[in-house]
Amino acid sequence: MSQRIDQIGKLFVEGAVRLLERATDKHGLKVETLVPRVTAAVDKYILRDDPQAPAEVIQDFIDKLQADDLCLIVACEQGNQKAWTDLVERFSATVRSAARSASSNEEGAEDLAQSIWAELHGLRVREDGRPAGKLAYYSGRGSLAGWLRAVVAQLAIDQHRKQSRLVQTEDDADFDLIIQQGEDETTWSGHGASANPELQISAKLAGAQMQKALAESVKQMSAEDRLLVKLYYFDGLRLREAGAVLGVHEATASRRLTRIHGELRQQVERLLIEKGGWTQPETARAFSEVALNLETDIEPLLATEPVLMKKENEVAG
Amino acid sequence: MKQANNNEVDLLLRALARQRSSAAGQSGSDGGDEKSISSDHLDADELNSFAEGLAPAPARARYTEHLSECAACRRIVVGLTQAAGIANRLEAPEQTRGAGFWQRLSEFLSPRVLGYAIPALVLTAVIGIGFVALRQREGSQLVAQNDRPGEAPAVAQNKTDSGQGSVVQPQPTVQNGQTGPTTEAPKERNTLEDEKLRAGQGLQKPDAKVAKVESSKDSGQPADVASAAGSRPYAPEPKAAEAPPPPPIINPEKSGELAKERSERREDQPRDQNEEVRVQTDDVRGPNRSRSNTAQPMSQRGAGVGSGRGLSADKNKKNADVETRSVMGRHFTRAGDAWVDTAYEYSQATVRVARGSDQFRALVADEPALRTIAAQLDGVVIVVWKNRAYRIQ
Repeated sequence: MSQRIDQIGKLFVEGAVRLLERATDKHGLKVETLVPRVTAAVDKYILRDDPQAPAEVIQDFIDKLQADDLCLIVACEQGNQKAWTDLVERFSATVRSAARSASSNEEGAEDLAQSIWAELHGLRVREDGRPAGKLAYYSGRGSLAGWLRAVVAQLAIDQHRKQSRLVQTEDDADFDLIIQQGEDETTWSGHGASANPELQISAKLAGAQMQKALAESVKQMSAEDRLLVKLYYFDGLRLREAGAVLGVHEATASRRLTRIHGELRQQVERLLIEKGGWTQPETARAFSEVALNLETDIEPLLATEPVLMKKENEVAG
Repeated sequence: MKQANNNEVDLLLRALARQRSSAAGQSGSDGGDEKSISSDHLDADELNSFAEGLAPAPARARYTEHLSECAACRRIVVGLTQAAGIANRLEAPEQTRGAGFWQRLSEFLSPRVLGYAIPALVLTAVIGIGFVALRQREGSQLVAQNDRPGEAPAVAQNKTDSGQGSVVQPQPTVQNGQTGPTTEAPKERNTLEDEKLRAGQGLQKPDAKVAKVESSKDSGQPADVASAAGSRPYAPEPKAAEAPPPPPIINPEKSGELAKERSERREDQPRDQNEEVRVQTDDVRGPNRSRSNTAQPMSQRGAGVGSGRGLSADKNKKNADVETRSVMGRHFTRAGDAWVDTAYEYSQATVRVARGSDQFRALVADEPALRTIAAQLDGVVIVVWKNRAYRIQ
């Protein structure tokens, strides 16, 4: 065990040395200053998920850290005024851009941009006397510009929550609510009105059960597929955008979505048959009827979506 | 069917998303949560590493799990992804690496692909069948025309076909109103006409290429025959008289065009003004003309010089036998007992005129030059005069 600790410690030091050598501007940093940052980054991204990660993986991870950005941030954290000036000069435009994206108006964006530097520097003081800012959380894994945008976005959300005191619920709560509503079996809004009240009630019951089964099926999907569904259907992203979040081309995202459709249908049918006591023909008929009613019901909302989907399917080949 | 199923699920998911939005609106009751977002969610570094695709696989899976449930973090990641232009870097679609043969085959045979492929294949097949049928139809028309006895235009129409077809296809042999496709007849005609052509050209010897073609034609190879026939110039063209026999280059288009031109010219000629107008027979044109005096222009017929005999012997014989004379500006070639105008084509109908007959007297009265020609050339004379061919005998 101690041998492993020694080995990892040695890897950290060697990695910090190489990192410092890669930096074009070392900002007067020493290896021992960088070792804690390197150690924190490796713990966060590697050892947390795999404590027995091989040395090659750790070395590779350290060698892919953003040396210049990390040295700049560490120098700022160390109170290097020149580094701080350099940081503001280089990234003030990025911060303002991110603030404008996160704010609804120019005034709010300017306030946000100004406050971000204070957040980075830190208004509070740590035990060692240095300011406790957000700079300590930059690992160097991603770009500094991207990290600053993320910090601005999170700060904007925090400020919005504080100001509006009206926070949108998380998806889990939504699904729980939907499932609960499905158990009421009267809240399915997808069905159109039927002339026969008996048929109308029956259709509503079927639709509600199907809705509940679908929500459960989505929750049972893999995280990657569920994220794609959330991005595409719930967040309203295009396949190109959703694919970018997942790191895949839109054609790949489209293929995945097609596969997800098939798997979801099978899962919903299985749930309806096993838990609802439905028969196979009943599920098939219910799918058709519900989809038919939905098509007419949400047609105004999806005025442009079919064209988009068709185009994306064509791209997917 | 599969696409319809997908559409049904797609509609259901959209409805579910719509339901989620309304549910979120109804349940906006936890606005009192003032905890910093970073304490419960992914921090900025994790969000950024995910958005830039730099998170290690295990960490990425963990973040994906969170993002699939957390709308707030998802929004940030989406914004980071768009700001970083990640979509623009993902130009190449992800290939199905390691996909098996059957998977690739199933993808290839998917309805989406076949939806385009099948119409394209059908269209291609229809075009191909139509092309073949059209070609066959043309061929059948040719045969039908060949079967008509005693029609000179049919002969001319044969020439309008491609050069290959005009040679390879059995040529109509018009013989006293009887037709019969013979394979040897064109060769014999070619021999005769070649003799005549060379006589008009000052007995120029065929070059080696022509000899090669002729010898290959003797061996009965249609391709060589076609190439030879397609390459020969027509007799009336002055270039043919000046230049040696052309090399055996396949030029069916040119041959076809010339043949068409000739047929049009021939159609302009009066055919049946005189009851003595007949299709020329073969009985008096020397040994090489028997049963074969149709269809081919003289220059093309020259392609068959070597048919049925040895090349060297043929050359010697031709050099010895061919005799030419010029009367009244017309050039005549001795062919057996007859003097044949070099402008005469054997497909051309002739008007038979017997010397001393009333018709002969009337003719020479109208055309005194013909009297001079008939007087200076003994025996049978075939002369082309004002686009009409007269056989004076």
